[in-house]
Amino acid sequence: MRHADTICGALLAAVGCALIVSGAGFPAGTGGLPGAGFFPQAIGALMALLASALLLRGLRRRSEGPFSIANMREVAVTAALLLAYLLLWGTGWFVVRTAVFLAIMLSLLGQRWIPALGYASALSILVYLAFDAGLNVTLE
Amino acid sequence: MAEILAGLSAVLAWQVLGFLAIGVCLGAVFGALPGLTATMGVALLTPLTFWVSPEQGLAMLLGIYCGTIPSGGIPAILINVPGTPASIAASWDGYALTRKGQAGLALGINALASTTGQLTSIAFLAFLAFPVASFALRFGPAEYFGLTLLGVSLMAGVSGGHVLKGVLAGTLGLALALVGLDPMTAYPRYTFGMSEFLDGISFVPVMIGLFGLGEVLVQVSDRQSVRASTAAAIGRVLPRIADAKRMARATFSGAAVGTMVGAIPAAGGDIGAVIAWEQARRTSSDGDSFGKGSLSGLAASCSACNAAIGGGMTTMLTLGIPGDAVSAILIGALLIHGIQPGPLLFANNQAFVFSIVFLMIFASLLIMVIGILGARPLAKVLSIPAPWLWAGIIVFGTVGAYALNNAVSDVWAMYAAGLAGFLFRKMQIPLGPLVLGLILGPLMESNLRRALILSRGDWSAMLTRPILLVFLAATALSLLWPLIRAKRGAAGRNQAAIGDA
Repeated sequence: MRHADTICGALLAAVGCALIVSGAGFPAGTGGLPGAGFFPQAIGALMALLASALLLRGLRRRSEGPFSIANMREVAVTAALLLAYLLLWGTGWFVVRTAVFLAIMLSLLGQRWIPALGYASALSILVYLAFDAGLNVTLE
Repeated sequence: MAEILAGLSAVLAWQVLGFLAIGVCLGAVFGALPGLTATMGVALLTPLTFWVSPEQGLAMLLGIYCGTIPSGGIPAILINVPGTPASIAASWDGYALTRKGQAGLALGINALASTTGQLTSIAFLAFLAFPVASFALRFGPAEYFGLTLLGVSLMAGVSGGHVLKGVLAGTLGLALALVGLDPMTAYPRYTFGMSEFLDGISFVPVMIGLFGLGEVLVQVSDRQSVRASTAAAIGRVLPRIADAKRMARATFSGAAVGTMVGAIPAAGGDIGAVIAWEQARRTSSDGDSFGKGSLSGLAASCSACNAAIGGGMTTMLTLGIPGDAVSAILIGALLIHGIQPGPLLFANNQAFVFSIVFLMIFASLLIMVIGILGARPLAKVLSIPAPWLWAGIIVFGTVGAYALNNAVSDVWAMYAAGLAGFLFRKMQIPLGPLVLGLILGPLMESNLRRALILSRGDWSAMLTRPILLVFLAATALSLLWPLIRAKRGAAGRNQAAIGDA
């Protein structure tokens, strides 16, 4: 788990430094007032400081083992399906698109095809009726 | 007394109570669905009230308002997805209770503490409206900055034992809040040339993603659902007398904090709930259990976020100043019905003010009954197969995020936050501080810079404001409290060792 501290600390320290540098490029304030870059620089400095502390802590306790994610395949498949669903947003009918997405996801997570398709269809129709027909949220 | 009776008799008509009941039920649905907010519900249904009497129309709108916030705690408790931003703090202890097999008790406490918070704030509205509102009016930019600074300083307290990571997550939230137009000069910051970023990152989709989608991915990874871990246990709904006595202090102090914070324009139940939760944790003898299923922690947060309703209504009715977006819409609805909120309303139409008070009391009691009777059926959601529950969370979360602005960019934000929420949980980085930073960041920056403009860049001039000094002292105490507590603990252990010897 401590490898996570090292990676996270290094990444956020870099983000903090980027905020400090980018904040310097924003328009300065006038008459002693802080400009648009004041807060980015202040937050960046705080973040860099805290992230460095986390990085050092992670490096000191490196022997405690690496960061790992169980069932990586299922997580990756779910995330990929979500990405595909989002990329296809606005194409085709909402009900069909959502039902197909949910049915594939449920079957990949070990559910039987037919009940999964039935549940996915019912859920998609319910959401469509509630939001599009009921609340006038344009889903198509 | 005659005005009180006139106000009561005006609302004791079956049509008015019927509209109130419809409003409360609709509010319960809006609150329970992540992405649908009280603002959206009140705004959507306001036009429907134009064809009925002011009492009937207002009954429906107040019913929605009073019904949405308590039911926002339901998904926060059952599936760790806050239904409204005000329910974020409820998820910290509520979801932990669900994982322990005490979902019924958590829902029961949510119903009882929410109603206690609402009724307490309504009492403030009825009897102390002007002192509360005049206190709220003393808030200028410097005081708002102090309030937000106090809120940000609570990040360490809500980090659940991972203080460094929690504060770092809060700083990341503050950094994300920088995206968009600079609040004072409208200079675009970190928009990368994309117009979608000009308005900044909306925290509701981020909240749904971090807590909802992130939780789904964690459960997919662990292959262990709440249902499996609790054997679909619901447990008792109503707390035991002894538990209720233990929660009383946290509940009422949460109600007082929520009322005062709610009365301050633009500071809503989300900030009030976090402050109340942290205050209860700090003053509790069992502070270590907060965030791990503490009944007092849940009661404090639920009470405070609901008390903010009465606080906001107090400022709205006495001064005509909307405390939040819902109050702004309610002012519009009142004006359309020929009622002008402000000091003259209390002088010329006291009976109508008491009608509002009684409507809120009835709405509050009705949502409590719905909450308690509905706890067992609602908790049954945990007994449906986990993947089906995940599918529901994903589709309702996605459409809820989209519905906020009819913008796909909000769905992208939600999915990105979901992935981040998953990784953060795996790395034991607390999520609460991140949302806190995202909510408070813009308020803190804009109010500090406004205060400095008013003091012509003189930082020391701000220190002449007593309310700000109180907030700065509270902030210092908040930051030093872990050290004080550790020192007191060490001293106590030394005393015990001497005693043993």
